[in-house]
Amino acid sequence: MDNNYLPRFVRIVGIQTETYDTKSFELEFVESSAKEGFRFRPGQFIEAAVLGVGEAPFGLASNPNHPLTFRITVRAVGSVTEALHQLKIGEWVGIRGPFGNGFPFDEVKGKNILFIGGGIGLPPLRSLIEPMLDARSEFQDIQILYGARTPADLVYKDRLLEWEKMKDLRFMMTVDVGDATWVGEVGVVTTLFPKAEIKEENTVVFVCGPPIMIQFVIQELIHLGFSPGNIISTLERYMKCGIGKCGHCAIGHKYICLDGPVFSYQEMMKLPEKVV
Amino acid sequence: MEKYSLRKADLNRWIDSMIDRCQVFVPSRIEEEIFFSPVDEAPEMDLLGGTAVLPYLPPKDIVFPQSEILFSYSGKGEETKVEVPEGPKRGLVILGIRSCDTQGIFWLDQFFQENFNDFYYSRRRNKVTLVTIACNQPAKNCFCICCQGGPFLGSESQNFDIQLISFQDGYLVECNSTQGKELIDMRPDIFFPPEAGMEEIRFHLEEESQKKFLPAPTSYMSTAIRRITSNGIPPELWTELGERCFDDGGCSFVCPCCSCFGVGYLANDGKGYHYRYWDSCGYAGFTREVSGHNPREEKGERFKRRFFHKLSYQYLKKDGRIGCVGCGRCITACPGEVTMPLVVERIRKAQEAKYFK
Ligand SMILES: Cc1cc2nc3c(=O)[nH]c(=O)nc-3n(C[C@H](O)[C@H](O)[C@H](O)COP(=O)(O)OP(=O)(O)OC[C@H]3O[C@@H](n4cnc5c(N)ncnc54)[C@H](O)[C@@H]3O)c2cc1C
Ligand code: SF4
Ligand code: FES
Repeated sequence: MDNNYLPRFVRIVGIQTETYDTKSFELEFVESSAKEGFRFRPGQFIEAAVLGVGEAPFGLASNPNHPLTFRITVRAVGSVTEALHQLKIGEWVGIRGPFGNGFPFDEVKGKNILFIGGGIGLPPLRSLIEPMLDARSEFQDIQILYGARTPADLVYKDRLLEWEKMKDLRFMMTVDVGDATWVGEVGVVTTLFPKAEIKEENTVVFVCGPPIMIQFVIQELIHLGFSPGNIISTLERYMKCGIGKCGHCAIGHKYICLDGPVFSYQEMMKLPEKVV
Repeated sequence: MEKYSLRKADLNRWIDSMIDRCQVFVPSRIEEEIFFSPVDEAPEMDLLGGTAVLPYLPPKDIVFPQSEILFSYSGKGEETKVEVPEGPKRGLVILGIRSCDTQGIFWLDQFFQENFNDFYYSRRRNKVTLVTIACNQPAKNCFCICCQGGPFLGSESQNFDIQLISFQDGYLVECNSTQGKELIDMRPDIFFPPEAGMEEIRFHLEEESQKKFLPAPTSYMSTAIRRITSNGIPPELWTELGERCFDDGGCSFVCPCCSCFGVGYLANDGKGYHYRYWDSCGYAGFTREVSGHNPREEKGERFKRRFFHKLSYQYLKKDGRIGCVGCGRCITACPGEVTMPLVVERIRKAQEAKYFK
């Protein structure tokens, strides 16, 4: 019988400082038996343990088509996240997973895809954006709208610049508050909607970000005529086990760690607690 | 199902044989309370008769300990060593468990073994055999009859290993699993074919026992199930019930069906540990997030959660039964008296009161 509480070990092979409080970690399995790397679906997550400190859930943020190394992007907010930030290249981290349902992929082929990310909500979306770009011809329009509080809060800056230049991808970003060097858009992410010429027809939207942003974005999308089934987002709850046993993440009879974290707005509305 | 008769005088001889090969838990008096305790000699017989004896805690800690080390580790990098503590080596027998607690264990089985099979639960559970005693006489807080929890197994549920039905000077023994058969095979000399008429008397005893519940205040689950399922209970009723909650988690800890746990991390003597411990959805910290935001800050919200898990049709459909077996332990445990029967009654009677028009 598998013991799903035991971590497997990965080595840190790269660290990227994203912002003043956020770092990305490139990870690779230490076991030579894990030659094929890490198989996961976009939108799934792992539990990462720093031994001696504890364990916390993180969305997988890299392209599942390149499984030899994989990435998590971590904002330092407490004990585990700060301990991760202290680690150096070559050090070990214990991980469990992948867990959760993940984003639909094959199901949305042939559609227009709209990504709306806020702040640290971009990393989980990136695990879907990259494989969609790999299979570009299978999707209609792909559009990404990204917002952050300030220019200093933008993650993956190098990649954002590449996305901006891509011909078959429409990318726009904005910040709530600019600074002396910022020449781009200013305003919350929904202010991009008119300029982005969002159209509802045959479009599926993926939204990730802080709860307040998700709330406003969904309201606006509904206002524009999107049906709740075509708005897909993720829910976060305090989690302990990641495998549907500890009970912490349950909302109604759904377990965010098993049945989620990805839900359509239609599914969210059926839950017996208010989630957005 | 195989049936035997067993003389009361032979029960202890059977238990002695079990003790030779297994760890045997039976209800035992410890000061004024009764607990399931491991015994090394045959136990007090008065707790193994037809009158319901409900130990203060259900035997769930035998399959799901109150706290348990998941693994320990030492060293860094290449030197990292992870160790999983060993599980039980010998078989475990829980003897004198009642129908309600038996159903509680089967509820936990269903939950811990679905989706990701829980390694720590299953390696204990796979060692356990249950010897249930049917209740000819319920105790004062019992309402298993409203929860398909008892007082006898067989008609309500086929989930059991062995059921003993207490007669004047013997037991009718119903054996329903290969694990149960292994226990009986330890002493073939004391198990006899049932005597003539025993079966009729068995059903008569069951009927008589069922009748004994009726004068007592029992719970009418169906209205509560319907209203909880449709999310139709006004928040004010939850708030009002929640106000009587002391936030002590007692209801969860004494409940045979409650299974939530927290995970803790500690370091000692150069070794680190990940361990789990019973937790309760009644605690404010159960859902509090790192930002400080808590989706269930209000006690009423937490109350609603507890009863949704126990009584909603959404869970009933998933688990095949409601999450209460009617043991009545939360009645003993709750200082605010917001117990399963009370909540069900409030939801049912709320119809006439201000909450439902
Ligand atoms: C599915 C999922 C995916 C996620 N993906 C990501 C991701 O990709 N990147 C990312 O950065 N984060 C992600 N998160 C969030 C991340 O898991 C948390 O930030 C992390 O668990 C914090 O752990 P910690 O040990 O660092 O914080 P903790 O030390 O546990 O807490 C941090 C702060 O919160 C306070 N606090 C903690 N518990 C309580 C409490 N009960 N009451 C009051 N205050 C409390 C502490 O005092 C401290 O100041 C995700 C979460 C989920 C559920
Ligand atoms: S809810 Fe109360 S009566 Fe029902 S099984 Fe749990 S402790 Fe027993
Ligand atoms: S995190 Fe434990 S049940 Fe979901």
